[in-house]
Amino acid sequence: MSGAHKRGAEWRAGGTDLSERLRSGVSDTFAGELTPAPGMLDIVPWGDGLRVGAMVPIQQLADDPRVKAGYAALAGAAGGLATPQVRAMATVAGNLTQRTRCWYYRHPHTSCLKKGGEVCPARDGNHLLGVLFDQGPCVAPHPSTLGAALLAYEATIETTLGRTLTVEEVFGDGRDGSRDHQLAEGELISALLLAPPGASERATYRRATGRHFAEWPLVELVVRLGVSEGRVTLARVVAGGVANTPLRLRAAEDALQGHSLNAATIARAAQAALESARPLPMTAYKGPLLQGLLRDQLDRLASG
Amino acid sequence: MTTARDLHFTLNGEVRNATTAPGESAIDLLRERCGLTGTKLVCGAGVCGACTVLVDGVPKVSCLLPAAALEGTEVTSVEGVGPEDGLHPVQRAFMAHDALQCGFCTPGFVVEAVAWYDQWRAAYGPRRPERAEIAAALAGHLCRCGAYDGIYRAVADACAGAFDDAASERSPRHDAREKVTGAARYTVDIRYDGQWEGTILRSPHAHARVISIDVTGALALDGVTAVAMVEPGATVRYVGHAVAAVAAADARRLRAALAAIRIVWEQLPAVVGVDQATAAGAPLVYRGLRRDALNGAEGPVIPSPWKGNIRGPSQSFADKPRQARRVIADARARKDPLLVEGTFQTGAQSHTSFEPHAAVARFDADGLTLHLSTQSVGHMARKVAAVAGLPEERVRVVAEYVGGGFGSKLALGDEATAAVLLARTSGRPVRVVLSREEELSVTGYRPATRIELGLLAGDDGTLDALSVHAWADGGVAINSTIAALARLIYPAKAKDLVDYDVVSHLPPASPFRGPGGPALCFALEQGVDEAAHRLASDPIALRQRWDPEPARQRLYRWAAGLETWYSRRASGSGSGRMLRGVGVAAANWLYWYEPGMSVSLAVEKGRLVVSTGTQDMGTGSRTVLARAVAESFGITPAEVVVRIGDSSLPEGPLSGGSRTTPTIVPPTLQACAELKERLGALAPGITWAARIAAAPDIRVTATRVPDSNDGEAVSPLQGTGIMGTAFDYILRFSTGLRTGRGSPGAVIVTEVEVDTWLGHVQVTRTHAGIAVGRIRARELAHSQVAGAVIQGIGHALHEERQLDGSSGLTLTAGLEDYRIPGMAEMPLLDVHFDEEGFDHVGGGGVGMGEVSTLAVAASVANAVYNATGRRVRELPLRPDRLMTLLADVDAR
Ligand SMILES: Cc1cc2nc3c(=O)[nH]c(=O)nc-3n(C[C@H](O)[C@H](O)[C@H](O)COP(=O)(O)OP(=O)(O)OC[C@H]3O[C@@H](n4cnc5c(N)ncnc54)[C@H](O)[C@@H]3O)c2cc1C
Ligand code: FES
Ligand code: FES
Repeated sequence: MSGAHKRGAEWRAGGTDLSERLRSGVSDTFAGELTPAPGMLDIVPWGDGLRVGAMVPIQQLADDPRVKAGYAALAGAAGGLATPQVRAMATVAGNLTQRTRCWYYRHPHTSCLKKGGEVCPARDGNHLLGVLFDQGPCVAPHPSTLGAALLAYEATIETTLGRTLTVEEVFGDGRDGSRDHQLAEGELISALLLAPPGASERATYRRATGRHFAEWPLVELVVRLGVSEGRVTLARVVAGGVANTPLRLRAAEDALQGHSLNAATIARAAQAALESARPLPMTAYKGPLLQGLLRDQLDRLASG
Repeated sequence: MTTARDLHFTLNGEVRNATTAPGESAIDLLRERCGLTGTKLVCGAGVCGACTVLVDGVPKVSCLLPAAALEGTEVTSVEGVGPEDGLHPVQRAFMAHDALQCGFCTPGFVVEAVAWYDQWRAAYGPRRPERAEIAAALAGHLCRCGAYDGIYRAVADACAGAFDDAASERSPRHDAREKVTGAARYTVDIRYDGQWEGTILRSPHAHARVISIDVTGALALDGVTAVAMVEPGATVRYVGHAVAAVAAADARRLRAALAAIRIVWEQLPAVVGVDQATAAGAPLVYRGLRRDALNGAEGPVIPSPWKGNIRGPSQSFADKPRQARRVIADARARKDPLLVEGTFQTGAQSHTSFEPHAAVARFDADGLTLHLSTQSVGHMARKVAAVAGLPEERVRVVAEYVGGGFGSKLALGDEATAAVLLARTSGRPVRVVLSREEELSVTGYRPATRIELGLLAGDDGTLDALSVHAWADGGVAINSTIAALARLIYPAKAKDLVDYDVVSHLPPASPFRGPGGPALCFALEQGVDEAAHRLASDPIALRQRWDPEPARQRLYRWAAGLETWYSRRASGSGSGRMLRGVGVAAANWLYWYEPGMSVSLAVEKGRLVVSTGTQDMGTGSRTVLARAVAESFGITPAEVVVRIGDSSLPEGPLSGGSRTTPTIVPPTLQACAELKERLGALAPGITWAARIAAAPDIRVTATRVPDSNDGEAVSPLQGTGIMGTAFDYILRFSTGLRTGRGSPGAVIVTEVEVDTWLGHVQVTRTHAGIAVGRIRARELAHSQVAGAVIQGIGHALHEERQLDGSSGLTLTAGLEDYRIPGMAEMPLLDVHFDEEGFDHVGGGGVGMGEVSTLAVAASVANAVYNATGRRVRELPLRPDRLMTLLADVDAR
């Protein structure tokens, strides 16, 4: 699968991202069709956790009974993204490595940081769908829903260069505006590794969208919660659609950790969720949406 | 792996071998190489589902699916979902429930629904699925015509077993079978031997002069032709203005040809949007007499003054405007609580026809044949003849099936000009199909607007003064009419109605379903709602007082009797996260028809054939013709052969201004009467069917004559004074269009649910009361209204062209960013037709395509007010705007 390819050459897996760019002319980086190596199409036990092959279709991840039982928010995220047809084709690894959906990037007649340009035209231009947490030069949110869920589950990513990366390492800190992931040239994902879930934890995934379906979310949120004797013992809150990378909202997690899940705690967590927000002129609305999602899910989790 | 590759797969049960190019998608292989054109390309991005095929039984979007992934699979396209020579129950259900209009999205829906039906039946047997289950199953599909209402019913009934029996086949729509089987051939599906593919080179600049343009480099290439579409010295005024076109035998040559065209530009200062256009010292879009300003309307340009980039005031429809201004100024000075004032804005809405603008040109010994996705084969034939330099009788424009238009396919487009010029220079058939990006950028849109409204009710409940000042933001196009429409409804003591166009360096707006109407309704109907609130009156009761039009009076009575209406809560009285509300809005429209258009009716080999040079873009003109003939002769519509979509037929109307039905039905009925006379009286016991079967070939042709003077109905233009009469005459002589008597009207009641946490407005139910006289094809009329409602909801909540303010680039260049509503956005729908009042029109009814959409967005806004106590000032009410609107609402 390697060979002499031009820089940025892309192998095609499900094609749900790359095919569109090839048709519109945004990308001319086609390297070839990715053919599955052994293990790339299966979900298998990995210790007490799971090993998800890179080319497992997203729908298969959503439907897998072990994923549904142990990683409810991951199954929910997988089943809640895109459309049935796309989920049947798209691979889990492609979801992490898909390119941004920014309308400047996707337009065949513009230049931008991610297309080798010098500036992000959305920053001073139209960034209605842009980030709420301004981390770097590019203002487009990261599109990967699975990335947010995997971050919440602290999954690791195994690559063909023999590296095992954390989700943070795959996406970086958002300050590199020229790319959507930090894999090396020619490096491919071979599997996602899921550590065993916590005992009696519960988790949810929800999104806020304009239209109901066939949408990337304006804001999406994964909440993982362990509660023991009325107190929160585990809290993971990860937002998508709001930053250059899926974003862990640690302040919100801290506001939950060790407290009982009542209205006051929920209000404090909602407050804390926006602590480090740095909205752009057109994106302040994502703040209340993020808080709405958090309240919605915590209410749900609190009421059992 | 980056080289061509041989594939082996099964396609609709047949073993196929095909070679695929590197990086190719499955749809290109299926359509272009395997010749199966039922599968449609719309978005090319996985959003709309029009391209869905089954791969080993699983629905996949073939626009994204790698062609290589077909290796060793069994592929089923729409052409193969049914049994041989028969239909799948889902196809029968789509036909019976009229779950389609233009049909361009239909193959995708059908294929997906077939797979889902099979699964459902295997799991549950014949059981009826819930609406939400159907929405989720069809989440990957969009339909611009808005056939969702019928699709819900079709899928539910099919799953429940209502169409298992082949004998259950029935079809209210004349051409539905062709559409559910993928047999209908649209312009994009036309393919001649040796045909080349053409594409258009467009300006990257918002404002520039073409110093020189040189296509010789492209012409020198092998297998390529090229033409310049502008002269040196020409000024381009928006990004995307066509400047040259190329055609080639394959994609590689096409790219090389584009790259070989040399243009020297002189960039000029540009203004993008209203703010820049009206800033001090802004560069001018047009100069001098502005004769080159583009007309963005169907009607003629009435002279109006210019100041900088602003055209106007145009105020010929005002009525005692000085009195209105004075009365309102006085009320403002004394802080009259009954004075309603406000500024309202609406976003630019793109037509988004699912079949893009497309043309296939072919010259032969007889002249030119142009297949064109158009709303007017007749007018286009004349225009194309001029482009081709041929006499009109040597040009034939054909549009057998048209995948939607909504007003965007009324004018001669660049795709037609390019195809004709390229076919002539190359001597080959040439097809030009716009990409979705081009379609969403340069083929027109409903202009964005800003309206300043003033409305004063008197203490005694009279309407003392109405003031509407409207600014339209239609790019380089002028002649929008918004405020003037306020003359047609709510007689007031005085009306100050002023229209302006603000031009800037953006692509031109164009007519879109009820031009100007939705924006006016959005402002005016919220004004009336607010006035009712201030008068502590029921909003319907106030309209009953202010709007004397008899048909709408009947509709108001109907609306007031709806339980949802009389049991609604006081505005803003709800609490909690989810707020519910009910709103009403009314609209008035004109009825137009085109005298002089002809329909011919013939007996050919024992069958009745009706023909006219109109076209069917999903609105149902084929069906209307077939039914009119069938009813006259007591036969079934399916027995009537309908020929349309060809400029060589007797001249028929263009499809715009809701004129088609009222133009073609009267001459069709007249032709039926004449044919019966020619055939002679029926002998006892003989049916017309038998008489026709035995008749020799004959033909009669009838022409649309002006309406009779019988009956009470008056034209809404009557009473609008000298300008109304003048407008009527100008329209008559410039476009041949006659304004008929009678007011098509609508009263829309909308129920919404507002999620104050997630920024979401859901329209849960719409009650549409429509007064357009007698309904000829009830199921299709229902579909038309359903489409109008969902397009109105799109305008209200989702759809808006987004631009880059510095370059003038259209950023909503795909269906992912230009959000048309989907299945889940479709509310439950009740349609109530008021069928009186148009007896003076042959057939007793007029068109409804436009009037049904006008008040929808306004009634959504009034419902949101009822739910939240907040006035919606700006459309679309996207989540960001809703969150801002509700910023001070405590929703805990
Ligand atoms: C209508 C629609 C809605 C959508 N909504 C969402 C959404 O809400 N949330 C969301 O997350 N996504 C969404 N998607 C995106 C979709 O999930 C991704 O396009 C998909 O997951 C990409 O996977 P693929 O296998 O098709 O990738 P491809 O298109 O084949 O490839 C995408 C990129 O990934 C690279 N790649 C593929 N496999 C590997 C690998 N093993 N290792 C390294 N690089 C690899 C390719 O080289 C390429 O650069 C949506 C898509 C559509 C069409
Ligand atoms: S054309 Fe394939 S999904 Fe729209
Ligand atoms: S019928 Fe669906 S797009 Fe026209």
